[in-house]
Amino acid sequence: MTCEQVRDLLPEHLLGSLDGDADARVEHHLRGCTDCRAERLRLEDGVATLAYATHESAPPDELRDHVLAVLDEEWHADHEDPPADATIVPMRRRSPMRWVVGVAAAIVLIAGSLGFAMTQHQQAVRVSADATSYQRLLSTLGGKEFRLGQLTSANDTGISGKVILYDGDPNAGWNSWGIVLAHGPADLTDARAMLVGPGGKSMELPPLRFSDGEASTWLVTHEDLTGYDELVITAHGDVVANARIAEA
Amino acid sequence: MRHVKIDDPSSDQALMAAFVARDERAAGALYDRFASRVYGLGIVMLGNDHAAQDLVQDTFVKLWRTAARFDPERGRLETWILLTARSLAIDLLRRRVLESRSLQELGPPPVHDPAPGPDDLAATADLASRARRAMTKLSNEQRSALELAYFGGRTTAEVAALEGIPQGTAKTRIHAALLKLRAEMAKEADDDV
Repeated sequence: MTCEQVRDLLPEHLLGSLDGDADARVEHHLRGCTDCRAERLRLEDGVATLAYATHESAPPDELRDHVLAVLDEEWHADHEDPPADATIVPMRRRSPMRWVVGVAAAIVLIAGSLGFAMTQHQQAVRVSADATSYQRLLSTLGGKEFRLGQLTSANDTGISGKVILYDGDPNAGWNSWGIVLAHGPADLTDARAMLVGPGGKSMELPPLRFSDGEASTWLVTHEDLTGYDELVITAHGDVVANARIAEA
Repeated sequence: MRHVKIDDPSSDQALMAAFVARDERAAGALYDRFASRVYGLGIVMLGNDHAAQDLVQDTFVKLWRTAARFDPERGRLETWILLTARSLAIDLLRRRVLESRSLQELGPPPVHDPAPGPDDLAATADLASRARRAMTKLSNEQRSALELAYFGGRTTAEVAALEGIPQGTAKTRIHAALLKLRAEMAKEADDDV
């Protein structure tokens, strides 16, 4: 898309009324265009002004305690899976079944073929040993590449496991996704997993909730994950494990 | 709740990082900064106090559930929160429409009259008053198109159909209205200096 085309669509993009394809193309352009991002910021100032002018109104005092209490409940909720809308970004106006079948097949194939004792090398050998099947899998999913990383414990925390990233092709309508499978000591309860890339770029995954020393977390996103090449796991603010992520 | 030191409270990114880390103070700071506008949006779009309070709660829960996705490179936190709240309000409005009335019968959404009252005419540095004065600088056509798009969640095609104008004209009016508001606020800020 040209800058002129993007700027024509920016108000609708900002107000959320573009369809999925057009919105994704605008986002794609904005990621690489300083001038258009500046234009978006100018339009955002207009939206903020509209908000101040038309709907600044003090809520009842008791609402504050209520909302904070609800957030506290949310924070302490015992989620076995990540919150429903935390990271799942469904592809808009695409066939959902194609995506669901593709991702489910990949997850079953990859996760089912992995044991916690499997090393990254073994995984790479297993996957790349059958190049035809691997290419067929990529063709079926429509994505670009799988990337793997093995968790290395920091400061003798005893955490191990692996991370799998699948880089979908957003131009073809495919999400990217990631899975983290972790072993930890029996007394570890919660930890946080974060994808990190050069320049301090980061994306947090839903929390890792250990049960009997094992935990997993995952995300599905239309964001481009190719810029992330490391997974960092923290507990109580300290790094407890990390993994470099590379192509399988 | 955990308490995490916030190194730079004024930074939206630090604030959201603390919120993601379940910091109670960050949650309170976010509420104090944004709840009044979310609540006010609820009053304007949903028409009653109960629904507006629900909107505030739903917005902050959604904020928590999607906080990790906030990227300051992609836009301001303020805009992200407001448009999240607006999106939730529009979803509720559309459910109401499906349940009870046609879209044509709904008509334009009720909006706060931005015309300044006597108190607002007095010189004041209050942000809301300045914003309301900025709104008065829009043409009726610009304001109507912008309000339909913002409060009504209408696409430019729908705005054009409702206003009886070409879609390109609708886009131009909305775009111009947003830039005009920005320019007027900047002018107000310069006048205060």
